[in-house]
Order: sequence, then structure tokens, then C-alpha cells
Amino acid sequence: MGGCRSKIGMGATTEIGSRIELVSMDPHFHDISIALYRQEGGNGWSLLVHTYSPIDGAQQRIETVTDGMLTLGGMEKVEGASHQVRFACNAPHHLASKRLFLEVCKLRPEEQVQPRPLSIFDKKSRANVTVSSLGDGVYDLSTDGASEAASKRCSAITGGLVKLGEMLPIEGVEGRIAFPCGHAHDRLVGLLLVRALNVRSIQREQEMAASRGQLLAPSAQKQ
Amino acid sequence: MEATTQPIEPMTSRQRVLAAFRREPVDRTPVCNPTSVATVELMDLVGAPFPEANRNPEMMARLAATSYTELGFDSIMPVFSIIQESSALGCKMQWEQKDNWPTVRMREPIWVEPDDIKIPPDFLSHPDMKCVLDAIRILKKEYGDEVAIIGKTMGPWTLGYHCFGVEPFLLMSLDDPGKTKLCLDRMKEATIQFGLAQIEAGADALTLPDHATGDLVSGEYYKRYLLDLHIEFAERLPVALILHICGRTLDRMDYIAQTGMAAFHYDSKNPPSEAMSIVQNRISLVGNINNPETLFAKGPETVREEVYRNLEASVHLVGPECAIPLQTSIENLKEIPRSVKDWHKEHSTPN
Repeated sequence: MGGCRSKIGMGATTEIGSRIELVSMDPHFHDISIALYRQEGGNGWSLLVHTYSPIDGAQQRIETVTDGMLTLGGMEKVEGASHQVRFACNAPHHLASKRLFLEVCKLRPEEQVQPRPLSIFDKKSRANVTVSSLGDGVYDLSTDGASEAASKRCSAITGGLVKLGEMLPIEGVEGRIAFPCGHAHDRLVGLLLVRALNVRSIQREQEMAASRGQLLAPSAQKQ
Repeated sequence: MEATTQPIEPMTSRQRVLAAFRREPVDRTPVCNPTSVATVELMDLVGAPFPEANRNPEMMARLAATSYTELGFDSIMPVFSIIQESSALGCKMQWEQKDNWPTVRMREPIWVEPDDIKIPPDFLSHPDMKCVLDAIRILKKEYGDEVAIIGKTMGPWTLGYHCFGVEPFLLMSLDDPGKTKLCLDRMKEATIQFGLAQIEAGADALTLPDHATGDLVSGEYYKRYLLDLHIEFAERLPVALILHICGRTLDRMDYIAQTGMAAFHYDSKNPPSEAMSIVQNRISLVGNINNPETLFAKGPETVREEVYRNLEASVHLVGPECAIPLQTSIENLKEIPRSVKDWHKEHSTPN
């Protein structure tokens, strides 16, 4: 019968900030858990991609996820810190960062990661939706569909971006939204645009994730 | 229990927990987990993921030890799930993956009548039982002097749900109280056998979950079906017993306080001060920090508020209300012992 103390010392978990998102089982690397931690320091907000797994290759996997956040989210590396990233504007962009992290973790490591375009074909309206940056963090959504349905979809997608990116609708201008930080985040918008087409599926995904891992009394379990 | 009125010599975690079970003075309120505090991140840290950590004794011990080595709790409790006995009794199991709990397929019950109840002669040597016993032995050897090692043996009401199915068992309790009592009486032998084996393996205390939960079973039902059985457990299992029942249980706390058990692991649906006034120091209270809303979904500030609420009410031991969600953050769990220590510092009398 083996022991357990020798395997790990006391206090191997250190203060690394507040966890804001978790992938319990990474489908691309031995089901390890990968988390995103928020840190606040003298230079503003930063995010740390972290796993507690000591297995060979785990740090390489974290490197891949971190790089993905740079490419897909337009974040930058924090100098002198490994696996730590931030937005140049110094704002946390809490919800958008969480979504960025989750989307990057879904990508296969061998996949060539490219920034997503600011234009997408919307199957529901059968039209292209384009987001244009107007500078200072302001964006305009437009569609090449002429129907009323296309216009409605454009509004819905604008709402999706507002929700996912915590953006602000500009009053009185249909389809115009802005980041509160006042800075452009084109790559982040490109990433969120894909999901803004179907925000309900994101909500379902979140509900499913939240329901896993809760131990229920036998009487409360689905039988 | 007195925690601050007189100077008490510093205690080990084990001494602290066991004294609190006896409602004797302690140097500070112990942080205790009568049920699981395993998380997916801790599984990674020590290389002991679910479902294997429920079936391999070294992994079980390694993961359980993190409650002390990483989180700073005063106890170690290796029986993460509530299904070890049911697996050994022959129930159909769903072992799940790293991020979810193993469960019993209660739609496929194994018993219908009292005569179906058979505790197999090799019950204790079934791999899922032996795993727990071996894990307790490992933990006792490595941490036994310093930390309270807590085992777990499921009560007959829970075994009834698992082996007969929830609905059939509840219907039987409505239609035929005599038959239900006979079933409980027969199933209690599994509780006793497993409990005694864990004591022999080195458990300092045993959690005894018996899911007569507040949502489905009334206080009167508790008295009719379970009070006498729980008194019997307290007499026959010679260690501190911690009864665990989820949900709102204020309506049965007076009965629970009469069982002779050491502690009641109670749910956040019960206000600490109200619960303390019902039990009147006849049984220790432990738990109460909310799982789904606080530990899982909120931050350390809310955890601290709930810990303080328990300490203000002089609750004997503080900890999560039930097995924590596997995705709970380490930061929130560490906040429990940190808050307890801070509260005692704030309330200590200067020499």
C-alpha cells in the first residue's frame, strides 16, 4: 500500500488571483483542467492561463492556449510573466475574456489559428453581416440583405455582441455599439461575432457546464 | 463549546475536531469537511482524477489529503461519493468522468421486497469497499497524529433509495410502514458493518448520510422511521458520528439532537442561530456554508460572510454544507479556514 504525503508537498497551490473561467476537462490534452485567473496589479488587469497538472506537455498546452488568446483576442503578453496576458487598453473585458478563453480551448492544438474576419454569413437571414470599426472602440453592424428579416437579424446580432462583449449600444443609431474602454478590439469582435449569431446556444452551454459536478441527494437526481 | 473565553493551549487539527465533537473547549473553531471537498483542479494537482479516485485507494487518499495539505482544513474525508456500498450491494453504477459524480442507476432497482435484501458475505472485501478501507489506513498512517480522519457509512434510508429506487421506496413508506421498517432494519447491517470496518482501519469519526431530506421527508417521518435507528447507530459505532441530511431540517433537529450522535452536518437552508437554539448543545453542528450559490458561484467575500454568520452563532465546526461541486475554486475553499482564523483573531481577548 503506497503513501500519499510523499507525492506532493504542503501548500502547492499558491495565490494566483481569482478564477474567472474553468475548462474542467480539456478535450485536447489528457482531460486536464485549465483555468483563467484574473490578477490585478500596479499595471492594471491581467489574466493568467493556468493548470495544476504536472504531467509532461501540460505547460506546452497552456502555452498554446495563451498564444491562441493573443491571436484570436488581440491580447498582448505581460512582459516577464509566462502565460499571462492583458488587453492593451488595460480594461478587464471580463465576459469577453471568458468567452475568448473557452473558444480557444476548443481549438485543436494542431490547428492554424488565424484572427476571425469581421464579416460572416448569417444562415438565418441568408445575408452577410459585417462589422466596421469606426475608431475609439465604436463599431457599426450592417447587412447586405435587403429584407426586413435581415434587418431584424442584424439587430439581434448587435444585441448578441452587446451581451457577449459587454459593449454599449449607441443610442439613436441602429447597429452601432462601443466598448466602454474607448479602444478598438477588432480581433475580439471577430471572435465574438461568430457566437453572437446564436447567443442562446452559449447560454445552453453555460447551463450545462454549471449543472455538472454538483452532487445531488438521491431524491433530487434525475432517474 | 468555548472558543475564546479562556486561553486554550494550541491544539492539533485532530484534537480540535474531536474536542468540538464532544463540545469541549477548543483553541479555535475547527474547519471540518464531513463530506467531499475534492475539485477537478485538486485532482490534477495530485494526479488523482474521478472516477479512478473513487476506486483506487492510493488516489483516493492522495486526493482526500489535499483538504489538509492545500486547503487548510482540520479533517480529511476520503469517501467522496455516496455510492461505494450500493456498488458493493450490486446496484447498477454510472461511474461518469472526471468532472461529474458517480451515481447509482436508481431506475434499475435491485430489490423489491424485504426478503430480497441480502448483504453479500464478501460485502467488505468488494473492491469499492476495500478501496475506502485501504485509503483510511494510508491516511491514518501518514496523517493520523495530526488530522482527524473521517470515514463515511451510508444510512439505510439512502440505501433504500439506491436499492429499491426513490419512488418505490417512498411509496412503500406510505403504504406499508411495517414493511418499510423491516427493510430499514435489514439494510442497517450494511451501515454497521462498513462503519465498524472503517473504525478498525483508523477512522476517528464517521459521517452517516441518511437522505431523509427536507424536500421529501417530514420531521415526523424522521421520528417514525429513523430516530430509533440513529440512536442504535450511536450505540453500536464507537466513534464520533456525524449525521448528514440535506435540505431544511429544523423540523427534525430536536429529534436529531436526541440520537446521541456527536454532530449534525447541516444545510445552509437552516439559519445557524435558529439551529443552535434548537439543538441546545446536545449535539454539535457542522457545515452550513452554501455550495451552489456561494462556494461555486460567488467570491471569497460571500464565503467569509457565511463563515462569520456561523461563528457569531457559536456553531461548533465550520465547513461546506455538503459535498462541494467539483468545479469549486480553490480560492473560495481556502477562504473558509482563513476567515475562521481571522474571526478568532478579531475576537481574541488581549492578555
